[in-house]
Amino acid sequence: MKAAPFAYVRPSTLPDAIAELASTDGGGKVIAGGQSLVPVLAMRLARPETLVDINSVAELDRIGTAGGYLEIGATVRQRRVERDPVSAAVPLLGMALPWVGHRELRSRGTVCGSLAHADPAAELPAVACCLNAELVVTGTGGARRVPAREFFSGAMTTALGPSDILTAARFPIAGRGEGFGFAEIARRHGDFALAGVAARVRVRGAETDAELTGFGVSDRPVTCSAGGELATALSECGGDVSRLASTLSGPLTAVAEELVDTDGDAHASRDYRRRLFRTLASRELSKAYERARRSAGEVNP
Amino acid sequence: MTTAPETTDPLAQKGKPRPIKAGVDDLVEVRMTVNGTPAVLSLPARVTLADALRDHLGLTGTHVGCEHGVCGMCTVLVDGQAARACLLFAVQLDGADIVTVEGLGRPDDLHPLQEAFGRNHALQCGFCTPGFLMSSYDLLSTKPEVTEDELPEELSGVICRCTGYRNILTAVRETHEAHPDGIPAPGNCAHRALVGRATGQGGGSTDGREAGEDTAAEGTRRIDIVLPDGDPTIAVDIETEIGVPVDAVWRVFDDVHLLARCLPGAELTEDLGEDHYGGRARVSVGPIKLSFKGVAHVVAHDRAGQRLRVLAQGQDTGGAQTQADIVLRTEATATGTAMRAEAKVYLTGRIAQFGRALAGDVSRRMFEQFADALREAATSGQAPSGPVKAPSALKLLFAPLIDRIRTALRRGRRTAR
Ligand SMILES: Cc1cc2nc3c(=O)[nH]c(=O)nc-3n(C[C@H](O)[C@H](O)[C@H](O)COP(=O)(O)OP(=O)(O)OC[C@H]3O[C@@H](n4cnc5c(N)ncnc54)[C@H](O)[C@@H]3O)c2cc1C
Ligand code: FES
Ligand code: FES
Repeated sequence: MKAAPFAYVRPSTLPDAIAELASTDGGGKVIAGGQSLVPVLAMRLARPETLVDINSVAELDRIGTAGGYLEIGATVRQRRVERDPVSAAVPLLGMALPWVGHRELRSRGTVCGSLAHADPAAELPAVACCLNAELVVTGTGGARRVPAREFFSGAMTTALGPSDILTAARFPIAGRGEGFGFAEIARRHGDFALAGVAARVRVRGAETDAELTGFGVSDRPVTCSAGGELATALSECGGDVSRLASTLSGPLTAVAEELVDTDGDAHASRDYRRRLFRTLASRELSKAYERARRSAGEVNP
Repeated sequence: MTTAPETTDPLAQKGKPRPIKAGVDDLVEVRMTVNGTPAVLSLPARVTLADALRDHLGLTGTHVGCEHGVCGMCTVLVDGQAARACLLFAVQLDGADIVTVEGLGRPDDLHPLQEAFGRNHALQCGFCTPGFLMSSYDLLSTKPEVTEDELPEELSGVICRCTGYRNILTAVRETHEAHPDGIPAPGNCAHRALVGRATGQGGGSTDGREAGEDTAAEGTRRIDIVLPDGDPTIAVDIETEIGVPVDAVWRVFDDVHLLARCLPGAELTEDLGEDHYGGRARVSVGPIKLSFKGVAHVVAHDRAGQRLRVLAQGQDTGGAQTQADIVLRTEATATGTAMRAEAKVYLTGRIAQFGRALAGDVSRRMFEQFADALREAATSGQAPSGPVKAPSALKLLFAPLIDRIRTALRRGRRTAR
């Protein structure tokens, strides 16, 4: 269980890092926190020729808000995001981060690393999709911004090319009238989810809209923008939130059918995952709705 | 190999990994602080921090279970936060500050968490214990507001196969209650002086080369030996009878070269002036072979007061560091000379893993060999036939056993003294 030998480069600028990656001609891998990559190397599931360590690139080590987004650089650790007060601008991140592995893994693991790794059961890709975050990808041809919902193309596959670096993730800052919900079921705290949901609801006067992202239920995070029955159910229930969860259950059955398309595995069948998804989704949507109404000033806190 | 600029102070770069480019077969230089002591390692990029700590620095308190981040046995503090040592390549930690379970407390002055684990029987086989200690240290120091209800979840990153969870939770809760505003810092992180820092090589260089090889050309520089604060790893206080007159013993003491040749496994290679000497020593115990290169300083050579004091400092290729403060006293007796040796030995790294008792036994055994050689040299006025052999594996493995039995038999008398 030891990694095969590899060449190791730790450049100090972004152009150098990209050049190093490009020079390996596909044989190189970025290492950020290593919390997903090192186990893969240790089990020799991957044998990259070169690891490009981006941790000395100063410009990637920043977190802050600008232009309506919370921007998180590629080497910012998950635990730092969890503890930094600026993260309050994106409440969904704060709800999801404690579910990412354990404290000991979040000390080193990065937000961008988790997105780049694109595990279908991971929390942060779901958060990125639910909020449709902007992912800044920098390669030999310069930087481009990829919407999160286009970034994930399958299990552990993303829009990143072999010499691209995900330099930052930009999460939209929550506005007035927005509320969020997040939950998952795992066999043990810190394990990957059997099924999980991230929910965002926005209330603007009589108008209600919602986004619901499921993870651990397909080969990538799957998002539906709640329209039709779901939006109607949300807005119709008015003040009676206690009834909301059960009202939502019906319309969510169809959503679960559509989104949960993973085959069963040793831990859970597809049907069980659909039930989990439906239950979690109705609860979290209700909570998100309640929070949204509070944020909009429609209910007294 | 490395493109990094040379600096003499391993801490100068603290917190900032230096840019580097290493080929597949290259060794990469890493400077980090481990339990308060600067260490310079030179290793292949694929060596994990867990392996570097255990195999290169001899700090085997960090346990390795799954090697892919699941079990938590290897948890250590990296720049103050708990992290999996098996999920980090050591080369990534250039400039980092590492604390292992060895740094948490001293055997005679345990950290409150360690005390609580002991008190509550929170360990059965003890395999998970270092991981739990470091993880719970991180928890209580970074999240002092944690509630009792949250403890099971917060500590779920480490798995105990003996299922001692109840007691572990109790131990952590008790420590938390006793220190509501945050727990005391690790208690065994001291800056230990290292050999060769004056020559620009940090201590604990583990480049895999034989000691002496790299410095043969440049020679050893005279350095001031600064003993660490705190208690020694081993304290030896032994007396032995040498059947030769005091004068004859001191004739050996007067001739440093002759004296050195009486030391088991030792070899004097250089006279550095002002009572400083460079030399080598080899010790082997079972599979462990240590080859020290170091410096000795004769601080007191007092024939009238019958006292010889030597400070020594050595470094092994595997990163083990030894420092010793040795005082030899002689006293004329009816049958010859009573020689008493008091040695305080400070060990870090691999060698410290002998366990105190065994290391003490080894030192005692070496002292006996030294006394035998001294007797021979004092009698003949010449060096013992050939340098005294390095204590051999077999002898040392059995001798300590015999020693222990003897000690046990003598114990009554000793404590009476
Ligand atoms: C025991 C255990 C439990 C875990 N549980 C969870 C969990 O519950 N939920 C969860 O989400 N994750 C979990 N993880 C996975 C891990 O915590 C995250 O995926 C991790 O944080 C990834 O970030 P990293 O910085 O460590 O990435 P790395 O391991 O460094 O990299 C992961 C992959 O992404 C690539 N990469 C990294 N950064 C970039 C970049 N900036 N640009 C381009 N490519 C990049 C790497 O080349 C590699 O392929 C767990 C891991 C372990 C070992
Ligand atoms: S050995 Fe590191 S987590 Fe198991
Ligand atoms: S005490 Fe044995 S593994 Fe925990």
